[in-house]
Amino acid sequence: MLQFVLSGVAIGSIYGLIGMALAISFYVTCIINFAQGQLMMVTVMVTAELASSGYPVWLAALAGVACSCVVGILSYVIAVRPILLSNRFSFGWLVSTLGFAVIVENAAAYIWGPTSQAFPPILNGISLPIGGAVLTAQQLLAIVTAAVLAAGFEIVRRHTLFGKLGMATAADPEMASAIGANTTVVAIVAFAVSAIYAGIAGLLIGPSTFANPYLGDTFGTYGFIAMMIGGGTERPIAAMFGGLLLGVCAEGANALINSQASDWFPFIVLVLILIVSPKGLFSTSNPLFRPRRAAVTRG
Amino acid sequence: MSEQPTLEINALCAGYGRFDVVRDVALSVGKGEAVALLGPNGAGKTTVLRAIMGLVKQRRGLIRIGATDVSALPTHRIARGLAAIAPEGRRLFLDQSVEDNLLLGALHLRHDKARTQTLLASVYDLFPVLKAYRQRLSSFLSGGEQQMVAIGRMLMSDPEIMLLDEPSVALSPVAVDIVVKAMLELRKRGASLLLVEQRTDVATRVCDRLYVMTHGEIVDQMKPETIRSGGMSILNKYLG
Ligand SMILES: Nc1ncnc2c1ncn2[C@@H]1O[C@H](COP(=O)(O)OP(=O)(O)OP(=O)(O)O)[C@@H](O)[C@H]1O
Ligand SMILES: [Mg+2]
Repeated sequence: MLQFVLSGVAIGSIYGLIGMALAISFYVTCIINFAQGQLMMVTVMVTAELASSGYPVWLAALAGVACSCVVGILSYVIAVRPILLSNRFSFGWLVSTLGFAVIVENAAAYIWGPTSQAFPPILNGISLPIGGAVLTAQQLLAIVTAAVLAAGFEIVRRHTLFGKLGMATAADPEMASAIGANTTVVAIVAFAVSAIYAGIAGLLIGPSTFANPYLGDTFGTYGFIAMMIGGGTERPIAAMFGGLLLGVCAEGANALINSQASDWFPFIVLVLILIVSPKGLFSTSNPLFRPRRAAVTRG
Repeated sequence: MSEQPTLEINALCAGYGRFDVVRDVALSVGKGEAVALLGPNGAGKTTVLRAIMGLVKQRRGLIRIGATDVSALPTHRIARGLAAIAPEGRRLFLDQSVEDNLLLGALHLRHDKARTQTLLASVYDLFPVLKAYRQRLSSFLSGGEQQMVAIGRMLMSDPEIMLLDEPSVALSPVAVDIVVKAMLELRKRGASLLLVEQRTDVATRVCDRLYVMTHGEIVDQMKPETIRSGGMSILNKYLG
């Protein structure tokens, strides 16, 4: 029991980070970036490549996250902004971000081949007994990192001028521009931060999954579930809570039903939660189900 | 009146869809002057203010603030000290505190702490009640108090021209009085105002000149004295 809760929290904090990454860009722009999982994958592949060619792991990791950041900004500039400029109420981004995801994924498969490669161990081999259960140092790192990033996001959002500007842009982009905010820059920063969160999630999961160009599909989906059950569309940090719940459910299903149950059980949880509470569990409303406000378009 | 007006609009056409909502609008606001724009619902008054802020994509004609031609500038550039708006419906950032709303108004002055603090003090001086409520979530304020925040946020960017869109709407007589006195105080401080109003009495108390707009065009221009000495009937004809 304790064991699956602990490993559930560990994997859940990674789902939560991807959920938060989705939620951060949604929060400011009302766009769901369906290439989020692929942004995570970019970090994993670049880090694996650089580490295997002999660079120190920390440098490889840094470069990996930086690449995700660049690709994240490109996803906004290429797949989102042109669509909002032509019609800010359009749902064309649904298709264009998915298209961007397919391109990035296939580019990665073309560059690195479709098979898995080694990912540098970050803290492997150390484990900590807790009660009757065991937590690896890798898992502990995931939990601590996720907690720091989730809390850090809230602190910046609520207590810095930039965070308050992000809140203002999220609430009323047109009024935000009327007080002097360049909403395009705010949106680009949101996409960059969100790519960094996804990239860090990639660093945390890489040692257990190895580097595979199709990694983005599964994790992007789990991140989306985390955001939806948590209610991250209203408050990004709720996606973290959703991720933790999802992780515990998935690990619990593996432990209590059978070892394949984590493939389908989370979807049942998602459907049940969305039926009972469409806004998610940790928020008061779901902007996805509200009429869209004016989105960020002017520049 | 030889010097340049603070706001000068000429041959302005602006709209949203296929045709223009306002056509061939010309108006000016001198330095330290307060000018009202009156007209019935749907006349296009809000559209004129939004065009000045660059919030209407489709706009043609001349809009100049001081010496700067703003007719092609993006909104966020216009908002950095040229024009500021207390918009229709107030549009506060409701999930943030009163003081955060005010400080967001001074976004372009964020590196000038001293000036921001002076402006904040002047807003609290104008509306002492906001100082008492400064940590309160702005959604918890009454309509009148929210209007004060909207006006305060507009002041915080220290703009050349202040645009107010029906600040008296849906307020109690007491609150209307506070807002009117605040506008008169702003005039004493030398501000230039363009005030959109439905209430002629508010406009005549505050302004030096009034423009009348119907169906997207400016159809008349008058002085408050004219209205007080019997011009009211002309105005009523326009306002329907
Ligand atoms: N975003 C928009 N898209 C399309 N048409 C609009 C939009 N906003 C306003 N209009 C139209 O433009 C016309 C003028 O609107 P505007 O808001 O400028 O009038 P107004 O004089 O401010 O009226 P009120 O006194 O009711 O505020 C109206 O017919 C309105 O339907
Ligand atoms: Mg109006």
